[in-house]
Amino acid sequence: MTTSTRLAALSVVIAIGAIAAYVFLLRVAVVRNHPEGYVVAFVLATALAALAVVRARGRRWPAWVALGLSGLLLLGGAWFNFVVARVPATPTALRVGERPPDFTLPDAAGRPVSLADYRGKKPVVIVFYRGYW
Amino acid sequence: MAELQGLGAQLSEAEKVGVEIVAISPDPNEQSQKVAEGLRLGYRFLADRDLAVARRYGLVHPGGGPDGQDVPRPATVVLDRDGVVRWFSVSHNFQVRPDPGDVLRAVRAL
Repeated sequence: MTTSTRLAALSVVIAIGAIAAYVFLLRVAVVRNHPEGYVVAFVLATALAALAVVRARGRRWPAWVALGLSGLLLLGGAWFNFVVARVPATPTALRVGERPPDFTLPDAAGRPVSLADYRGKKPVVIVFYRGYW
Repeated sequence: MAELQGLGAQLSEAEKVGVEIVAISPDPNEQSQKVAEGLRLGYRFLADRDLAVARRYGLVHPGGGPDGQDVPRPATVVLDRDGVVRWFSVSHNFQVRPDPGDVLRAVRAL
């Protein structure tokens, strides 16, 4: 195996490995909370593939395949992380030391639950999440 | 769900001393409640179908859903017994959620 092919193979392993690691370790807070990690991995994979293309003598397709794959993942991953996943910072009604707005919403069984029901009784952790559509 | 699981597992200790965990989303939530109960998580799932509450809290990501619909901004709020905000975290990237350890610390500090 030539140096170029080895570099190309390493590039593919890093690119695919980054996706696999992110998906399988999504429950690990430190992995989930650093999505830029997969973008960094795609940058590295693209750089290795570019080096493989430069070093290629004779059989060039593995280097070009690696460069195409890592380049597409880099563009797609960067676009997803920095554009799609970005949440605009808008002012919220939350202030430390103040009571947030009260609300009443139905629970899974349809029973109404009010934030005020807990006042004076127990602390509350409210988690707003996007849902599953 | 991964988020709820992580939080629930770490908060199970806090739950024992009586912290209510209220999860709000536009989903109907029957399924979420079943999943949570299956995992023995003491969550209360509330359905904010039209995002009225998220809007009142300033926690709407306009057009942030996969089909361009409005969705809640992921956020976690810790309230003390008197209903006063002691800690909160609002996500600037929907892949990122608060570290459950930070939430647990805020709960323990109450």
